[in-house]
Amino acid sequence: MAWLVVRLAISVSLLYAASAVFEDQVGKFDWRQQFIGKVRFALFDTHSQASKKLLVATDKNVFASLNSRTGDLFWRHVDKTGPEGHIDALLMYGQDAVVVVGNGRLLRSWETTVGGLKWETVLDTGSFQAAALVGVQDLVKYVAVLKKSAISLHDLSSGSQIWVENLPDSDSVQYQTIYSGGNGVVFVLGVVPNSHIVIVEYKIEDGEIMNKKSVEAVWMSSLESSCAVVSSGILLCVDQITQSLYTLPLQSAEQTEMRQIHLQMLDLEVVSGFRPVLTSTQPNPAQPPLSEFFLQLSPDHHILLQFIDGLIAPLRDFNPSYLAAFATSGERTVAAVMSPKNDTACSINLFSADTGRRHLDTTIIYHMDPNGGKPNRLYVHAFLKKDDSVGYRVMVQTEDLTLTFLQQPGRVVWMREEALADVVTMEMVDLPFTGTQAELEGEFGKKAAIQDGLLPMVLKRLSSQFILLQAWLAHLWKLFYDARKPHSSVKNDVTIDILSRDEFNLQKMMLMVTASGKLFGIDSKSGTILWKQYLENIQPNSVFKLIVQRTTAHFPHPPQCTLLIKNKDTGLGSLYVFNPIFGKKSQISVPALPRPVIQTLLLPVIDQDYAKVLLLIDDQYKVTAFPSTKNVLQQLQDTASSIFFYLVDSSQGKLSGFRLRKDLSTELIWEVVIPTEVQEIVAVKGKRANEHVHSQGRVMGDRSVLYKYLNPNLLAVITESTDTHQERSFVGIFLIDGVTGRIVHEAVQRKARGPVHFVHSENWVVYVYWNSKFRRNEFSVLELFEGAELYNSTVFSSLDRPYAPQVLQQSYIFPAPINTLEATLTEKGITSRHLLVGLPSGNILSLPKMFLDPRRPELVSEQSREENLIPYAPEMPIREEWFINYNQTVSRVRGIYTAPSGLESTCLVVAYGLDIYQTRVFPSKQFDVLKDDYDYILISSVLFGLFFATMISKRLAEVKLLNRAWR
Amino acid sequence: MTSPGGGALAARGGATVKRMKWSLELSLGNSRNRGDRQSKDGDVMYPVGYSDKPVPDTSVQEADRNLVEKRCWDVALGPLKQIPMNLFIMYMSGNTISIFPIMMVCMMAWRPIQALMSMSATFKLLESSSQQWLQGLVYLIGNLLGSALAIYKCQSMGLLPTHSSDWLAFIEPPQRLEIMGGGMVM
Repeated sequence: MAWLVVRLAISVSLLYAASAVFEDQVGKFDWRQQFIGKVRFALFDTHSQASKKLLVATDKNVFASLNSRTGDLFWRHVDKTGPEGHIDALLMYGQDAVVVVGNGRLLRSWETTVGGLKWETVLDTGSFQAAALVGVQDLVKYVAVLKKSAISLHDLSSGSQIWVENLPDSDSVQYQTIYSGGNGVVFVLGVVPNSHIVIVEYKIEDGEIMNKKSVEAVWMSSLESSCAVVSSGILLCVDQITQSLYTLPLQSAEQTEMRQIHLQMLDLEVVSGFRPVLTSTQPNPAQPPLSEFFLQLSPDHHILLQFIDGLIAPLRDFNPSYLAAFATSGERTVAAVMSPKNDTACSINLFSADTGRRHLDTTIIYHMDPNGGKPNRLYVHAFLKKDDSVGYRVMVQTEDLTLTFLQQPGRVVWMREEALADVVTMEMVDLPFTGTQAELEGEFGKKAAIQDGLLPMVLKRLSSQFILLQAWLAHLWKLFYDARKPHSSVKNDVTIDILSRDEFNLQKMMLMVTASGKLFGIDSKSGTILWKQYLENIQPNSVFKLIVQRTTAHFPHPPQCTLLIKNKDTGLGSLYVFNPIFGKKSQISVPALPRPVIQTLLLPVIDQDYAKVLLLIDDQYKVTAFPSTKNVLQQLQDTASSIFFYLVDSSQGKLSGFRLRKDLSTELIWEVVIPTEVQEIVAVKGKRANEHVHSQGRVMGDRSVLYKYLNPNLLAVITESTDTHQERSFVGIFLIDGVTGRIVHEAVQRKARGPVHFVHSENWVVYVYWNSKFRRNEFSVLELFEGAELYNSTVFSSLDRPYAPQVLQQSYIFPAPINTLEATLTEKGITSRHLLVGLPSGNILSLPKMFLDPRRPELVSEQSREENLIPYAPEMPIREEWFINYNQTVSRVRGIYTAPSGLESTCLVVAYGLDIYQTRVFPSKQFDVLKDDYDYILISSVLFGLFFATMISKRLAEVKLLNRAWR
Repeated sequence: MTSPGGGALAARGGATVKRMKWSLELSLGNSRNRGDRQSKDGDVMYPVGYSDKPVPDTSVQEADRNLVEKRCWDVALGPLKQIPMNLFIMYMSGNTISIFPIMMVCMMAWRPIQALMSMSATFKLLESSSQQWLQGLVYLIGNLLGSALAIYKCQSMGLLPTHSSDWLAFIEPPQRLEIMGGGMVM
């Protein structure tokens, strides 16, 4: 019976917690963008002329097929992160793509049309060196994989291993490349640095060593990139110290020395400090490579050379040229070369590979984005036109990970911003009012009122009203105009100029900072990239912190954002100040940061231009203010005694609190040491600054109030034990007051380990850990209450809190691992809260906080029913209708960002990882707006109907009365 | 339609009055005149001011005085008499908040308030009584008791903002005195 009651209670509570979207709402206010990451290998499907496939493998361990006409994904396979899923090589033959994954752990073959796995083979251990397709008599049948100490040959159609052979002297020789010219043998090339090259020749049928020789090469340190095989098996190497090319026929048994050809003889010279690169091409793996090859002598100098009869002849010199690449279509091989045209554009031209002659009318102009990076990779897709000439399209990858697909004469077919696959941090900024609204606001500002008299003000008023009328008419006209067009062609013409804040502030500007150092401004409604800015010279492991200093609310001052970029190696930081709406760099002078910045602090103090003051704390605990005008410094002096900050040093296990002095130096006021031998601080979180709590307490069943302990200075510190043994490991949580250093509460979860995800908000902390005893994920919630009375209801000071709060805690079993955790946020905090849980499956679960309530009773009582408490059940349910992104999964979700909108019921959510997904959630349903399916027509027709019925019946009644009077 | 006074107008010619469009008959005894009030007593005509009912003796007597007293006490005790009934209704309607109990409570609260507002009219009613002031007081007490009962009912139904939770929504968030920030060493 009791169980029935519990189940009834749960199902009743679910009735109003369900928040799935309806089918017709799909894509209405949400969008997803899928990314792949930085391209490492890209191959065009040249199997058939009409093929649109482009196969890519990226550094995010993604293997995907793109539509080369639109840039959309045909299919995508996301492998494990880290070295386990690293794609080592991508080979393609016909319809099959062969991929080596995880440092030579797996060999897979994919069917490229639908992306199905054909076969998979587990390879022997050993670090991967190279892989190549091996052909016999014009047919490609095998794939050879070279490991550090072994070579194996696999059948291309089934993946079965034909043979595997150990390499001779593999401890001293570094085997690096593999070559097969289709004549029944496979060459394995190894090098002993600064000594000699080893060439081993294997028979394809049984793996027998046919020949093994070593050739002296004292100058050589590595085979990769400085060597290539050209023509019918000629090994060609280049060395920048001796300024020479070396050649060696692989098959000849008699030649035991490499032939040296001085570059001087060809009138060439390698720029000092540059490692020259040789690029050859082998259009068909069953046939020897072409005798033409590229030699790169400096970053912007390529030369096309030809090897004939032991002689090297230059075919064409490309100076200057950024990139060069070969492409083959049918029997014809061409070379595409990108050379600079002017400051903002490059031209790409097509040359015949065997003669070096330029093809006529093949120029593609590539316009470089002034806010982007330089091009660094060129992929060419050549095809035969109907008149048998060669046409081509190119894909250019730039430093800022933009993929641009171009066709003649320079039309950009599509563009992908792959930097967005690695978003580090983001913010959402309100859009400004429309120009007319802003104008109104500006005209009736204080300054204007003082300057002008009464009459000009009246005129201004009239003129601005006229402008408003004009804008309204224009808007109506646009509505009318759009209504006539088909629905699909209307959208996707968002530009920055027409962007304005909508009625409910649901459309915002998303600022995204990516690991590659590129900033994006994205319209949250459509997902259109409105501006982008590439910051050059960003170290790959830099730390970013994005701060909104001034919002759009202070017209005519433009909004202002500051990005702090900290170089991990030098520790030095730099500030980049920009306008978040237009992406323009601000002209404000930025303070020099001579010392490493260790933390920042955004104060609610504003300067005369309404920008919030940012304090930068350096490694000597000195503080720099930005902006640092006189006004600000004066304000800082006044408020210095109430400004505190804390620093957490996890390497020393130390939390320290500081207070600001009037001279902007600091003073250590408290220190908490958590011994690093036992446990390590993993994370620390305060509360979000823009969080509002509407209700100061909770109503009990007996209608008394349990007041919440709403300490804005409270920090949640998570620690993990250094001992990882499953019996002794633990997870600790400390709640510390950031001003006084007082430990408000501490809890330890034994037999638990991380990774811990947690949310700290209002008066609660929710954290997730792995219970190593029961092998499951658990949620734990801590809630803090002051009790039945408030100590001080008007002001909150951490320095005057004599009573410790009451702490309640409860734990639950969560039936899935999680990737990230965030809580919804609304304008006034009236709406109930939900937790957004990013699952590894890519779904985002919206879990009502009501389920994570430590006051959930084990036994149902009258009072708990009055309070709407769900009876305690250890298992936390996961319901598919709670997935806010239905089938739009977000791969490798790494973070969720929530922002309030102008509607109290609505919270904007952005989930980012490999993909980006934006939606709105309504934790308490849409109580402040009419539903989407609200039947305006029915209701208004009923209203009008009733109105007319009343009129008519009134008339009829009058007539009837008159008639009766005449009777 | 009957016509006032002694004459009756027959606007429509019935089957019997086909001869003329309209006619005026001065004799009231005619049975053709429909709906005549005075015709039920026959053809006898009474003079003006004559009433066939005996006129009561309106001079005040001792017995009447007692009756007035009694009547006034009835008025004064009316609210008090309703209390047991109200108690019964209160008990029956229960403490759940739904439309019928709310209507009952509203009625229970509204009636005494209405009575108290029209106190002067009641006093006029009681004017003739010798114990006017006492009766007025009893009437007042009765009504006050009635409204107290309504308030008690509201209280037991939880409609009165007497708990701290009822004022929770009006508590402003406390102002913070310290500004704090920071984080992990970057």
